[in-house]
Amino acid sequence: MVEARAGIPYVKLIRTYGTVAAGILIILAFSLLSPDSFATIDNAINISRQISFLVMIALGATLVMSVGEFDLSVGAVASFGGVFAAKMAVAGYPIWLAFLAPIAVAFAIGFVNGWIVTRFRLLSFITTLAMGTILGGLNFRLTGGATVFENIPDGFRYLGQTEWAGIPVLSFIMLLLTLVFWYVMSHMAFGRKLYAVGGNESASRVAGVKVEKNKNMAFALCAVLAALTGILMASRLGSAHPTAGDGLFLSAYAAAFLGMTSFKEGVPNIWGTFVGAAIIGILANGLTILEVPTFMQDVITGCIVIAAVIMQKLGRGKA
Amino acid sequence: MTLLKVEGLDKVFGQHYALSGVGIEIEPGEVHALVGENGAGKSTFIKIMTGVYTLDAGTVEWKGAKVDIPSPAASRKIGINVVHQDRHLVPSFTGYENLFLGLDYPANKSRIGVNWKAMKRRAEQLKNDFGVEIDLNKTADRMSPPEKTMLEILRAMMLECQLLILDEPTASLTDQEAERLFALIGRLTAQGTAILYVSHRMDEIFRLSDRITVFRNGQKVATVVTETTDKDSLVRLMSNAEVKKSQKRSGKAQTGERALELNGLSTKDGMVRDVSLNVGKGEIVGIFGLAGAGRTELLEAIYGLRELKDGSIAIAGRRSNAPTPNRSLENGVVLIPEERKRDALILGMSIRENMTLPVLKRFSGRLKLRSRAERAEVAAWMQHMDVKAAGSEQPVGQLSGGNQQKVVFAKALLSNPVLFLCDEPTQAVDVMTREEIHRLLKTQADRGCGVLFVSSDLQEVLDISDRLYVLHDRRIVAELDNDGVTAEQVLGYCYSHGKGSGHHG
Repeated sequence: MVEARAGIPYVKLIRTYGTVAAGILIILAFSLLSPDSFATIDNAINISRQISFLVMIALGATLVMSVGEFDLSVGAVASFGGVFAAKMAVAGYPIWLAFLAPIAVAFAIGFVNGWIVTRFRLLSFITTLAMGTILGGLNFRLTGGATVFENIPDGFRYLGQTEWAGIPVLSFIMLLLTLVFWYVMSHMAFGRKLYAVGGNESASRVAGVKVEKNKNMAFALCAVLAALTGILMASRLGSAHPTAGDGLFLSAYAAAFLGMTSFKEGVPNIWGTFVGAAIIGILANGLTILEVPTFMQDVITGCIVIAAVIMQKLGRGKA
Repeated sequence: MTLLKVEGLDKVFGQHYALSGVGIEIEPGEVHALVGENGAGKSTFIKIMTGVYTLDAGTVEWKGAKVDIPSPAASRKIGINVVHQDRHLVPSFTGYENLFLGLDYPANKSRIGVNWKAMKRRAEQLKNDFGVEIDLNKTADRMSPPEKTMLEILRAMMLECQLLILDEPTASLTDQEAERLFALIGRLTAQGTAILYVSHRMDEIFRLSDRITVFRNGQKVATVVTETTDKDSLVRLMSNAEVKKSQKRSGKAQTGERALELNGLSTKDGMVRDVSLNVGKGEIVGIFGLAGAGRTELLEAIYGLRELKDGSIAIAGRRSNAPTPNRSLENGVVLIPEERKRDALILGMSIRENMTLPVLKRFSGRLKLRSRAERAEVAAWMQHMDVKAAGSEQPVGQLSGGNQQKVVFAKALLSNPVLFLCDEPTQAVDVMTREEIHRLLKTQADRGCGVLFVSSDLQEVLDISDRLYVLHDRRIVAELDNDGVTAEQVLGYCYSHGKGSGHHG
C-alpha cells in the first residue's frame, strides 16, 4: 500500500517540479525568440523589479490561503497604503512615519477581517470582498479621486527608485521578504500552526492550537504585506492613485494558485508563490518584448493558471 | 392478512454479520416496537426495509406477495416510509414545499408553473384527516421540533403509507410534545397504518405498542405481546447472556488521589446536565450510555470544547475554570476523539507534524523549531508504538486506520498526560489493534494516569474499567464498582430512567 501510494518516481517529480520546469521552458522559449532583448542581464534585473510588487502581495495571499481562507481586499488595501503614505508625506510628516503608519493601520484592518470571519463564522470570501469595497470608497474620499503627486518629497521615492550595486532596492526587499516568510512558514511554530489550521480546523483545535488567533494573525500579516506593496508602488512611481493596487489582486491569487502546484503539492507555499509570480512576470515581460498586445497577455496568463491547476488535479487523481 | 413478513434475513459487512436469520411479522394497524442494545442491528434492519441497503439473504413478503426493495423510491412506492431522528427537511422551504419534496408538483394550466392551490388543498385535507395542527406556511427552520416531526409524518402519509417506521421519534421532544405525537400515532393506526416503533424509552414502548420484537447481536431474540411482559424480562432478553461477569483489575497504582473531579457540571447547550463524577489516579473509569445520552458531549465539556454553565472541574486536585483545549493540554489532559479523521488528525500533514502539534512549544527554540530534537522524539515514538509507515514524513492520510489510531495515541502520550479522555477508542479498528489499545490504557493507568473512557460497547466497558458510570439523558444515573457487574444490571439502569420518570427538565 505504502509503495503503491508513492507512485512511479517521475510522476512525483513532474508533480513537484513541473511548474518550475514549465517556467524554465518559458524562459528558454523567449530567449530563442528574442535573444537580443529578452536574454540579457539588464532585462533580468528589470524583471526582478517588475515582479517585486506581485511577489510581495502574493506572499500575503499565500498566508491567508494556508489557513484555508481568502482575502479579496488585498488590492484595495494596497491602494490604500499608497494613498495614505503619499498623503502623509505631502502633509510634511517624516518619511519613516509616512511608511509605518499605513502599515500599522493595515495590520488593524487585516485583524478586523480575521475577527469578523472567525467571530461570526462568515465566509472570508464575502467579508473581505465587502472590506475591499469599503476601502475602495475611502481611497476615493482620501484623494478626491485624483492621483496624489504634487509636493511629494524626494525621500519618499528612495526605496522605489534607488539601485544598490546596479540592482533595484525593490528586488532586495522582495527577496528578503520571501526568505523571511519561507523561514516563518517552514521553520517556526507559527507557520506549522497556520498549516495545521488550514489542513483541519477541528483537529487543530483539539490539539490545542488557538485557531481564531492564528487566523486573525494570517489576515493581519496579509494586509500588512498588501499595504507595503502599495507604499512601495507609490514610492516607485512618485505618485499614488486610489486604484493603483486594485489590479494586483487577481494576479496575486493566480501566483499563489500556480505556487500550489509546485514543491508542496496542493498546499500554498512560499517558494511556490515566488515561482508563480515569477512565471506571470516573465510572461508579461517576454510577451511585451515580442509586441503581443496586453489583452492577449491576460488571455495567456489565465490559460496557464487553468492548465497548471488541471495538471495538478490529474496528477493527484492517479495517485 | 399480514402486512409485512420477513424471514431469514442476512446482512453481511465484510466478515461481520450485521443481521443473521432475522424474521419479523407486522399486522396492519398495529404498533410494533423494535428494541435492542447499540449495535443490535435495528438501524441495519430499517435501512434494508427502506431500500438503503440490499439484503444478502432472506425473503420479504408484502401483503402476501414476495417483493424486492432495491431503492428508497421502491420502498416508498409500496407504502413503507421512515421518519428518522435527524430530520430530513429543507430548512428554507415552507411546510407545503417540504410536503411535496420528491413528488411531482401538480402543474397549473400553463403546464410549466406549479398549481399552488391544488397543493394547498391536498395538504389541508391531509391535515384534517389526521387532525394535525401546524402552519404549513412557515419555513421548516422556524418550526419547533414536534412540528417538524409532525410535518415529516404528514409527508410520509402523502403517499398511501401503510407501514411507518419511527426511529427514536421522541428523542428531541418534551413530554407534552411527545403527547401530541402519541395522539397522532393513535389516529394513524385507527386508519390501518402499521407503525414500527424503534426506541430506547421503555415507558413509551409499554404505553404504545401491541407487540415488541427484541434484537440482540444481529439476531432476533423474540417477539412478545406487550401485555404479557414487563420491563425486567425485556431487559433480560436484550442483554447478552454470554457476556462475562466483570472481574476487578488489580489496580496497583491507585493511590486514592484524584486525577479528575467533576461537581455538578452543566453546559450552556444543555447537552451535559449536573454531572458529578471522579477518576482516581491509576484508575480506569468507563462511561456507558445509549446513543444520545450525552457521552461525547461530556468528554468535550471536560476538555474545553463546550461552554460551561455551572459546576466545577478539578484536574489532579487543581481547579480548572473555563477550560480550553490549550489549557487542558497544559494541565496534562488529553482527548482521543471519536471521529479520528475529523477531530484527531490532519490527513495532509506528516506523521511527525501531527504527533508534535500539541507540544510544539517544547520544540521551539527562540525563533525556530528544533527539528533534530523533534525528529528524534517522533522516531522513538513510532518505534515504541510500532507504527507501520514509510517514515515519519509520510502523510497520515496514507496510513491504515489502525496505524492512524496509533499516531493519535502517540500524539496524546507525547504530552505526558495525567488524564486520558477517550471517546470510543476502539471504534472501527481490528481486534488486534483493539487489544493493543486496551493494553496501552492499562499501562497508562499502572503508570498513575487517570483514564476516563466512553464506549457504546458494553462488553468493552465491563472488560477494562475499574469503575463505571451509567449516563442517561445527559445525566449520571448510576455509579458501579466494576466487580461482578452484569450487562443486565447496567442496561437496567439505562432503561429504567426513561422519559416521564420524574426528573425531565
